[in-house]
Amino acid sequence: MTRFEDLYTEADTFLHRLDPRVKMASVLMLSLLAIIMSALTYLLVLLTFIFVLLLLARSSYRKTTFAMKFVLRFMALIAILWPLFDPSGTPVLIRLGPVVITEPGIWRGLASAARVGCLATVWYILIFTTSQRDLVRGLVKLGLRFDFGLALAIALRYFPTFGTVMDSIIDAQRSRGMEFEKGNIFVRARKYVAVLGPAIVSALKTADMLALALQSRAYGARRNRTYLRELNMRPSDYVALVAALAMFIVPAIAKYAFSIPI
Amino acid sequence: MASGTENEEILDDELDQPDGAGFVPPIIVARYGVLTALTAAVTFATFIYFAPTKGYFNMGDSMVFFCAFAFGWRAGAICGGVGSAVADVLLGAGFFAPYTFLAKGSEGLVAGIIGRLNGGSKLAKVLGVAAGGSCMVVTYLLCEVYLLDVGWGAALAEAPGNVIQVIVGGTVGILLAWYVKRVYPASGAL
Repeated sequence: MTRFEDLYTEADTFLHRLDPRVKMASVLMLSLLAIIMSALTYLLVLLTFIFVLLLLARSSYRKTTFAMKFVLRFMALIAILWPLFDPSGTPVLIRLGPVVITEPGIWRGLASAARVGCLATVWYILIFTTSQRDLVRGLVKLGLRFDFGLALAIALRYFPTFGTVMDSIIDAQRSRGMEFEKGNIFVRARKYVAVLGPAIVSALKTADMLALALQSRAYGARRNRTYLRELNMRPSDYVALVAALAMFIVPAIAKYAFSIPI
Repeated sequence: MASGTENEEILDDELDQPDGAGFVPPIIVARYGVLTALTAAVTFATFIYFAPTKGYFNMGDSMVFFCAFAFGWRAGAICGGVGSAVADVLLGAGFFAPYTFLAKGSEGLVAGIIGRLNGGSKLAKVLGVAAGGSCMVVTYLLCEVYLLDVGWGAALAEAPGNVIQVIVGGTVGILLAWYVKRVYPASGAL
């Protein structure tokens, strides 16, 4: 198993102090902005802006590269494959039988890759700077039912635990002579039943214990439950929220009301 | 540890009571949370570099199908959808999370509804895998083309990987549902 890394890094930047709800709204706004933009230049500007924010969030180099690995492959694939499937546009560069590669096709491919890059990296602003606890609390404050939020919190809490459990089951099965690296994909998958079965049973036993623990702590005793730490919007949070909204609304108005190409 | 029948009784009692502030019963919260975590962990732990776009092939689908077959469509949709989406976020492919939620959620939902027909017979489960799997593949394809706008090239390049993932995941999921029901009947899995 790839060792699990919590992408959240403890630090004290303005992004860390920002209310999680504001961060979620900003991520949503920037994603929408990336979706409505189609010019490569502006998308690259947005991408740079997101990277500046990540830099300001003091995300560690190692975690960023870990996260970027998947994104970069995807972006490269789009940039390469897009022109092959998009034969529109006039300056035809290459014509090989049915495959026609045009200059606008290449530009559109690059723009689409940049857009996916924006959509992918904008998430890291939220994930790198918000602890799981704050994330769940923000969602509950936004109207997610408390019990659903609790289930989500349990899921995030037990994710690394079950990773470890699976690792030890894999080791135990190895020591009994099971070879996970041999055979084709179907044979290997079949072997994983011997890992997943015990893992599921152990998880379900954990769930029974958890249910008892929840009941013993008067889970669900009253609807209007109170919290130890309240989330409160500070003036700076409102400023950030307005800025994030403006960043989407102004270009959207420019594009759809004044038909300025962006 | 409470046995299966006791568990069911606790469940029924709690559902009947109007108080409890209308919250989901604790066993459901705990079980869904834990199964979601396990789905995410399995997705995270068993990936093999395979599909060209997302860069990994994983056994997460086997957990989606297991949840759907063992605990019904609700568990399939919630644990499968949320678990896979959480794994996407933690793997650093967060932009995929909403689409994964839709794709895997619909997969678990459809597999859970169809796979439990006829008392969960073998044929129903195979049909459930086929129907749920096609939901997943088609949702991914449409989301990638129309919402993510990656172009047909990249989207089609990924589809075969997804199909293999469904076949492998479905087989393992059916085996797991049978295995857990036999080994740990107290869980109340069907």
